[in-house]
Amino acid sequence: MTIFLQAVADGLQMGLLYALVAVGLAIIWGLMEMINFAHGEFMMLGMFGAWGLSVSLGWDPLVSMVPIAVVMYGLGVLVYRLLMQRVQRGEMFTQIFATVGLFFFIQNGVVALFTSDYRFVEGSLLTRLSGANLSLGGVRIGVPLLVGGLIALGLFLLLYLLIDRTDFGLAMQATAEDRDAAMLVGIRPQRMYAVAWGLGTALVAVAGVILANFFSVYPQAGLSFTVLAYAIVALGGFGSVLGTLLAALVVGVVQSVTAAYLPPAFKDAFVFGSYILIGLFRPQGLFGRF
Amino acid sequence: MVWAIATLVALLYPIPFERSGQIYYETVGFLVLLNAMLGIGWNIIGGWAGQFDFGPSIFFAIGAYTAALLSIHWGFNAWLALLGAVAVSVVICAALTYPVTRLRGHYFAIATVAMWMIAQPIGATWPLINGSQGLFIPVAAGGGFVHGMLTMEFPGRGKGLGFYYLSLLLFAVTLLGARAVERSKWGFYFRAVRDDQDGAEAIGIDSRLYKVIARCLMAAVFAAGGTLYGFWALAVFPDQVLEVNWNILPMMAAVVGGLGRLWGPVLGAIVLIPISQLMTATLGAGPLAGRGIDLIIYGAVIMLIAGWRPNGLLSLPWAAWAARVRGRAPAPAAPTSPERS
Repeated sequence: MTIFLQAVADGLQMGLLYALVAVGLAIIWGLMEMINFAHGEFMMLGMFGAWGLSVSLGWDPLVSMVPIAVVMYGLGVLVYRLLMQRVQRGEMFTQIFATVGLFFFIQNGVVALFTSDYRFVEGSLLTRLSGANLSLGGVRIGVPLLVGGLIALGLFLLLYLLIDRTDFGLAMQATAEDRDAAMLVGIRPQRMYAVAWGLGTALVAVAGVILANFFSVYPQAGLSFTVLAYAIVALGGFGSVLGTLLAALVVGVVQSVTAAYLPPAFKDAFVFGSYILIGLFRPQGLFGRF
Repeated sequence: MVWAIATLVALLYPIPFERSGQIYYETVGFLVLLNAMLGIGWNIIGGWAGQFDFGPSIFFAIGAYTAALLSIHWGFNAWLALLGAVAVSVVICAALTYPVTRLRGHYFAIATVAMWMIAQPIGATWPLINGSQGLFIPVAAGGGFVHGMLTMEFPGRGKGLGFYYLSLLLFAVTLLGARAVERSKWGFYFRAVRDDQDGAEAIGIDSRLYKVIARCLMAAVFAAGGTLYGFWALAVFPDQVLEVNWNILPMMAAVVGGLGRLWGPVLGAIVLIPISQLMTATLGAGPLAGRGIDLIIYGAVIMLIAGWRPNGLLSLPWAAWAARVRGRAPAPAAPTSPERS
């Protein structure tokens, strides 16, 4: 039983980080129905940013999180203005196709600059805390991952406040609901889309920075997160930020519990199996608006 | 007239390379035809029925493995194995797809990805197919060109040429079959489901059934492609036949060429694959090898094509250009309705 509870606890913590990875996707999709194949690559860029700043300037990832977020926000806006804005007028598939090109471009750009070697962020504050544990009724909760998860949760709450309580967030919601009506009241959709891309990219890059504390940093790290993020957003229901959080927690727990009892190769299989099962009973996801 | 030239080019393409000994280009042709064929298959579910399938490689793998098993354990001839592979693939597809046809749009797409993700550990660990150690297809030595065409066995030097013509044959069959489907009632039902699913249901079209049929047609094509690939590679490994490229390339070929257009995937494959091969050959080797420069440029090219022609290359006004070349005034712009290929 303790094994199970331990797995659940670990899964919840990972789930918080997954939520941060996935929420950027939820925003971009929720607003403009774009599938971004390169989503995980932005996360990977965040990881490399954290590693690079740690190696060259000695900055702790918790510190470099802020400049990286700002830079990646700019990159997201740039990608939107240069590429995605153009493909918006085409088939939906062309948009996916464009992001596939982006995927190849970014991943191999990093390979060209840094090679595919695995890198590690060393001596960060969070890793120095490893070994410190909280114990909750026989279940060990590692402090580093807990702190990472709490940071993710904090950002999630900030995002929720932004979208739900500010005028700007309401403008974004309005654009998602009815683009033309939003234009009639003076909202510029292009601006909303650019911001959405910037936000989404910044969030997933920050997730990467946090993850860099715990995982090795290498150019191919992105794709599996992209796939997982899509499953999470779909499970939570496209368009629902809260749904994404819940779904991410579910995914984290399923993954963790599966890994505790079955060969690790199957943990993702169970996640996706759960997606199909839940999808059969609730085709719009847990919180999806249809 | 254009068809005659194109057919002639397709038939004669490998001859100059055969004479100069540059077998590599024949293999490029083989890959182009294989991916074009897969793209046409994908277009049935993705372009016509409008259900985006991101995990078609599972049927590629099912086809390759079924054919391999039939060949290894029961000594099936390659073409019989292909038929068996197609049959098995269609049955499995129908069983898997019907439940998820409840899902629409992106949810359906993620479900197809989910199936692919589930297939990977199964492929790597299932004892029947030898898990990650793969299956090896035995090939008898000797035998000329004709024998090779009958058994898909081309050991040695004749491989490039032989598989080029095998893939050309399968490609032609697929193309003609797809053309027939496009003009049939099924074709109309698919497009009705794509354009307005609720409207289609309202006039009595069972959208779930036709989504399954469309996907099964795709599964049949992918299974045939997988069989061809298996006999070409002479071995079937899970991470090769379930590789992400078999998911993306057919789809990209269809999109680049023009989604939903019959010849779209063909044009797309002709554009994409030689570019990637060229990049790999020139930039992926030599002093910049291993640095992925070729893929950087490949990605950039893809983004440029997507940004410049969001509706695919077939959406360019070919007819108008051709008329101008012939010295006549271009005809007024033809409506690009999907019913005309």
